[in-house]
Amino acid sequence: MMVDDDKLMAFADGELSGEEREEVARVLAERPDLRLRVEEQRRLRETLRSHYGPVATEEVPDRLLALLGAERVEAEHGATVMPLSAARERRKAWRFPALRNVAAMAATFAIGIVAGQASLDGQQGPLASQNGMLVAQGDLRDALETQLASAPPVHAEHRIGVTFADQQGQYCRTFEGSDVSGLACRANGDWSVVVAEGGTGTAGSPEYRQAGSSTIMEAAQARMADAPLDAEAERALVTAGWERQ
Amino acid sequence: MQAFERELLTLLPRLRRFARSLARDASDADDLCQLALERALKARDQWQAGTRLDAWMYRIIRNCWIDEVRARTRRGQTFVSEEAGSAVGDEGHERMERTLEMQDVGKAMLELPAEQREVIALVLVEGLAYREAADILEIPMGTLTSRLTRGRQALARKLEAA
Repeated sequence: MMVDDDKLMAFADGELSGEEREEVARVLAERPDLRLRVEEQRRLRETLRSHYGPVATEEVPDRLLALLGAERVEAEHGATVMPLSAARERRKAWRFPALRNVAAMAATFAIGIVAGQASLDGQQGPLASQNGMLVAQGDLRDALETQLASAPPVHAEHRIGVTFADQQGQYCRTFEGSDVSGLACRANGDWSVVVAEGGTGTAGSPEYRQAGSSTIMEAAQARMADAPLDAEAERALVTAGWERQ
Repeated sequence: MQAFERELLTLLPRLRRFARSLARDASDADDLCQLALERALKARDQWQAGTRLDAWMYRIIRNCWIDEVRARTRRGQTFVSEEAGSAVGDEGHERMERTLEMQDVGKAMLELPAEQREVIALVLVEGLAYREAADILEIPMGTLTSRLTRGRQALARKLEAA
């Protein structure tokens, strides 16, 4: 098969399907020079995304919010955005309208601040905002806390990928679900979600659709202090409630 | 607040990011967003519920931007940013380097022809599939991929040289 630049680019962008992708992968396996070119394409994309990505986590200027009839509300731990009517009703507490929105807002590289604010009680879904951080809750929290990647429950909503220790000695795990996928690290008993994107079943959210898993994996690799933990080490940690052995 | 506005509110972070990758600076980008939102609100009847609002908005932003590019060209203004680059202070060396690198990316994007910049922005920054980007820009797939290839090569060259 002829593998020209256009094809390599399409491969790097996740645009090839089935047979074509496998063929390119086979050629790449024997051609380090072409692998390097694919790697360069991916690196360029990451460079662009880390340049423009943070724009999506910036505070949206008031003049744009006003056009849509929304305003910024000062909550205990920082500002958040809500419709005017809702702002009048609930000055302090605010629920994310839907997980989809959280995923859309959060689908950038590092989610520092999506909404910093105090009370999100009664919130549904796998992600919650806590002191300006996104943390896992519900089924996702359970999966992160107890699931063995080597033996996921048959009907698990979220599946764990790799488990590893980061450079600060925190344990981190990648996860995948139909609503949200990402990378979470355990700190002070919570799983703080450091990378999140629309999950495998997210319709209408093209964000990082194909590049998704590679973005998560690259974030994981960047944090990894050493090799991922094996099944035995993973089991020991789950049993010990994530206390260092 | 109606569902339409609510959904636009949800999209805003992404729309601002898209505008930023087209416009020459942050304030131009938000002007562009404002213009596009005004247009969208006025033309809301033209949006068909159930279709992709994000794609519709990307197209409006892009069209607003092209109008502006053409108007500037007519007025004979250039599109090169006046990056001040006065990032001095007590920043660490590493941070300085990163800042410089960031400016290089923005600068390299600005030097691309508009038709390549918009393709790069939709596919590489916004992460759209080729088909989705081609539909938004109303160009054939082959045109999209060739602009994408050329844009990428040009960007890689500029960033290497920087």
